[in-house]
Amino acid sequence: MHCIVLVKQVPDVSNIPEDAWDTEHGTLRRGMLESILNPLDLHAVTFASRVTAASPGSRTVYLTMGPPQAREVLVDCMARAPGEGVLLTDRGFAGADTVATAYSLACAIRRIERECFDGSRDYAIVAGMQSVDGDTAQVPPQIAEELGIEQIAYVTSPEAGPAFELRRIGPEGTETVRPLRYPVLLTVTACTAPLYRSFHGARAAQRAPIHEWSAASVQAEPGRIGLRGSRTQVYQLFSPNEGKTRSCVLAHDAAELVALVDARYGRGPRQVPADADAPYTLAGQTPTYQGEFWVYAEPGDAGIRSVSLALLGKARQLAAPLGAAVGAVQVGAGPTSPAGAGLAGAAQDDLAGELIAHGADRVYVAEHPLLTPAIPSAHARAVADAVRRYRPQVMLFGATPWGRELAPRVAYASDCGLTADCTRLEIGDYAKGSVSLVAILKQTRPALGGNVMATIMTRSSPTQMATVRPGVFGVPPRDPARQGEIVRIVPELPDGSIGLEIVGVEAAAASSSIRDAEVIVAGGRGLHSRVEFHALLEPLARNLGARLGARSDIGASRMAVEDGYTGRECQVGQTGQTVTPRLYVAIGISGAVQHISGMQHADLVVAVNRDPRARIFDYADIGMVGDIAVVVPALVRATEVPAHAAR
Amino acid sequence: MPPVDVLIVGAGPAGLSTAIRLRQRVAAAGRECSVVVLDKAAAPGFHNLSGAIVEPAALDELLPDWRSDRSRFADQVTPVERDELYVLTERRAVRLPPPLVPGAMRHAGDVTLSVSRLTAFLSERAARLGTEVYHGFAARELLVEAARVRGVRLVDAGLDAEGRPAANYLPGEEVPAAITVLADGSHGVLSSQLASLISSGLADPERGPGEVRDPQVYGLGVKAVVQFAGTNPFGNNRVVHTLGFPTRRGVFGGGFVYSMGPRTAAVGLILGLDWRYGDLDPRAEFEAYQAHPFVASLLAGSSLVATGARTIPEGGYYALGPLHVPGALLVGDAAGLVNEAKLKGVHYAMRSGMCAADAIADALLAGEPADGAGARYVRLLGERGILADLHRARSYRQGFQRGLVPGALLSTVGDRLPLHLHMPPDRQGTRPRARTARRPPGHADGAAFLALTGTSHREDEPSHVTLVDPALCATCGETYLAACTHFCPGEVYRWNGEQIVLSPSNCLHCMTCTVKCPSDNIRWRPPEGGEGPRYRQL
Repeated sequence: MHCIVLVKQVPDVSNIPEDAWDTEHGTLRRGMLESILNPLDLHAVTFASRVTAASPGSRTVYLTMGPPQAREVLVDCMARAPGEGVLLTDRGFAGADTVATAYSLACAIRRIERECFDGSRDYAIVAGMQSVDGDTAQVPPQIAEELGIEQIAYVTSPEAGPAFELRRIGPEGTETVRPLRYPVLLTVTACTAPLYRSFHGARAAQRAPIHEWSAASVQAEPGRIGLRGSRTQVYQLFSPNEGKTRSCVLAHDAAELVALVDARYGRGPRQVPADADAPYTLAGQTPTYQGEFWVYAEPGDAGIRSVSLALLGKARQLAAPLGAAVGAVQVGAGPTSPAGAGLAGAAQDDLAGELIAHGADRVYVAEHPLLTPAIPSAHARAVADAVRRYRPQVMLFGATPWGRELAPRVAYASDCGLTADCTRLEIGDYAKGSVSLVAILKQTRPALGGNVMATIMTRSSPTQMATVRPGVFGVPPRDPARQGEIVRIVPELPDGSIGLEIVGVEAAAASSSIRDAEVIVAGGRGLHSRVEFHALLEPLARNLGARLGARSDIGASRMAVEDGYTGRECQVGQTGQTVTPRLYVAIGISGAVQHISGMQHADLVVAVNRDPRARIFDYADIGMVGDIAVVVPALVRATEVPAHAAR
Repeated sequence: MPPVDVLIVGAGPAGLSTAIRLRQRVAAAGRECSVVVLDKAAAPGFHNLSGAIVEPAALDELLPDWRSDRSRFADQVTPVERDELYVLTERRAVRLPPPLVPGAMRHAGDVTLSVSRLTAFLSERAARLGTEVYHGFAARELLVEAARVRGVRLVDAGLDAEGRPAANYLPGEEVPAAITVLADGSHGVLSSQLASLISSGLADPERGPGEVRDPQVYGLGVKAVVQFAGTNPFGNNRVVHTLGFPTRRGVFGGGFVYSMGPRTAAVGLILGLDWRYGDLDPRAEFEAYQAHPFVASLLAGSSLVATGARTIPEGGYYALGPLHVPGALLVGDAAGLVNEAKLKGVHYAMRSGMCAADAIADALLAGEPADGAGARYVRLLGERGILADLHRARSYRQGFQRGLVPGALLSTVGDRLPLHLHMPPDRQGTRPRARTARRPPGHADGAAFLALTGTSHREDEPSHVTLVDPALCATCGETYLAACTHFCPGEVYRWNGEQIVLSPSNCLHCMTCTVKCPSDNIRWRPPEGGEGPRYRQL
């Protein structure tokens, strides 16, 4: 089997020189960052080399789109594992969003199939999880949509054996998936040990020919590429620190600190400015978009995922000044969860009732036997059918693993732009030159690894679509008295339209990562010993978790790990884990920049340190100065009681 | 794949000057010769740091059109218009009247620049001339066959912390070459292996029978680049050198502040590594220097944007390493070609690289075996005055080892005296229980200093610094005050009350530890390629 590996040249956001910050505007000068191969693409390169190694006579083609200097990343790939390089480069591609990029790359893939693989369709397109600059993970599913093929996301490894099967991280554990048709698009997780560049490989790569293909040479339609083919547009960039409460409130004793945490916990990330909820007023103009505000209702373990319910609340709030109704879209076989566990028919109406109780005026229920088990291409088709039929003005998805697979395909299939991973949504007007837009959805998201915030608006799209980071908005109160309508839709899904089969699911081992924790209590060298580290931090983490009803875990600074206080898997920072919990408690951590970069996007940061000048206080919301050995036991005592009981 | 004709280890000013001149020569002669440059840094300039007040003559000679090059390099080169020398006491600064400033310390006609940027510029020009420059590849050892250097072996990549091969293990590749040029810098990994190779049979053609070569001695330069947000009290086109504070008895050194454009300045402190005190912390000294009322007034309103540290070979003429061995030539700091009286290294690095290139090109174009290039290289170093310059300055640093006043006197007349002053290795300078007891004046923010160097290493690779005998470290605190926990500008070494704990991922590749550990108990080998600091404007 041949492989096409999709790679991208990105700015190196993990090594930002100090003077790359534009201190006047609080943004980053992108030109001052190194250009590198997207780090997650290394896993795609490594994965593809394993696939082709198992299949003699197969070829590997590295494909990238970018300016002429993007050839460097092709050379980088070829220095790791031999292959051919294709550089898709043309002034016409400039300014492309994910839709235009996916279309352009799909055109190049068709040409690779014709010319490099002699028309053979026995190949896999392999991509990394996402690029570290855009962070959208939208291009691969949209390529799959353009090519009419399946995407298998979160792939961990090819399964050894006669048939080509893949292991992937599914919602309920490790799935084994078999493609029924080729080509197939795979996005691989960061789970390989990436191949190194070899010196002799690097020398050979310098001399290897790289095909440079223009837009015309891959038969790309000029109206569908670059800025012209894009359906989203950046409206403004600003600093993630804007509106952030930089100042650290110092607590005098443990009880005061705990009271401050109780008061501020769960209030969302700090980059949401206080005025984000200021209501919009329609000053007598006609809104640019018409129709309902829709939310995709994602099934979860206990009915509907809370992010979907939260989005219903947000949709109501946004729709109210426009007098628009709120709809929820539910997809099932009857009803099902993405993993395929079917629910009884009555349960489905219960779910619709839940959606209405949380703010939906109408619930659109798409039902078809082929929708179980849940395959993204089929579900996308069902949702896109509904969108095309009813044309809502806004469609929101939770940026969950499933939502990030589904939404890009829905957007592509319904000719819409999509903004990924928003942390702020608002209705506003836009006027520039002859363009005047009224009551559009302004979608704000972190970009460049969270170093910049970008506000994006949709263009040339009938519906404004966005995925929203879970936990940003609160779930609205349930109102069982609310009334709503249920609309049933039967999507058109011909037999044989599903191109893959889930052949097995292994329940996930009870492994948990610090990245999933909502509360992290992290310790540094200030804990002085391994024994103290565990004796002090563990009860505090346990108590805070119980008090706040959250999953809590222990983290550590690099120094603490090096001193052997705890394992490497707990290390938070640039070279460890990057975490975004709701509460991060830093105990005895001085605040090395490499540590800060791993936790600075936590919603609420508490720091306890003996040194009042420690840098960690510059990044904390709540602080306390004192001897760790005294303060932490006091905090443990003060957190014994659950918060609600304490009130 | 064409074989490697000339392999240059180290893409700094010396190595790249060698490559550029070589490619110019073969191109002019219409011949072909593959020139490969390897460097362990992730990108050009990342491991290059210098207090670069440079005579532009070498650059003029190598690339006469450098000022009009399309790259922006020339815009970032600042001519020196004002040049001052001060003596600092604890609180005051006294300017030395210009007629009293030694000629070697005058900088009219010089330029200030960032050697990282110079290196990036040279790298681009070398590539344009057809040099193959590969970054992120670290050489581990010389390949020696039949008493001749035959190329290098790279480091192993993909080992886990215990040294076991991981799934992506890549064993150290061999890079054979007809001739190898060692341009691996101050205390370079390969060039410092030569001594043991020579003692085990590799010929050292320049050393006559019975001739003693002094051990190399080093300085440590700690440097920062600052940016002025508003007004710039220091001004542009200005160079300030200082003597005195923060040095004390038993510490040789001096500081500098120079302009790098209208809103940027560099500040640095160079300390001789033969310092006496076990607890001397170069970063604390540097901080004290910046907090000195005079220096602080120059830098008022600025903020740090980049930091770094690197050793400098200071031994001069008598400590010159071997300049060639069969199959290999040594250029620049790797050979110890630094004029300590003028504080000039970049100039000599470039000029020695050009000598090496000419020697190799002469042999190549005459159809002679490359081995003839070694002797020709030394002859060219002589003909072009480089060895004579070093010979004139031969007693300079040696004099200052005996104190500031004897040093100052010797520096004026030393070149006329038939003296050969010896210096012991730096590690022997540390005296038992000698303390500075310096209290850093402000808040020494080690975390910020390290972050601004940009250094990083894969943390689950085997530590690239090792302690030969950890038990020896247990006794060091008593006598030498656990010197490594103080002298390392990267805070790689920490004492946890029982033993030394290593943080190799902080390492700045400055090589201080291999020189200064009083018990010679530290070994440094190159980590995987592409790691270490990321200097862009130092």
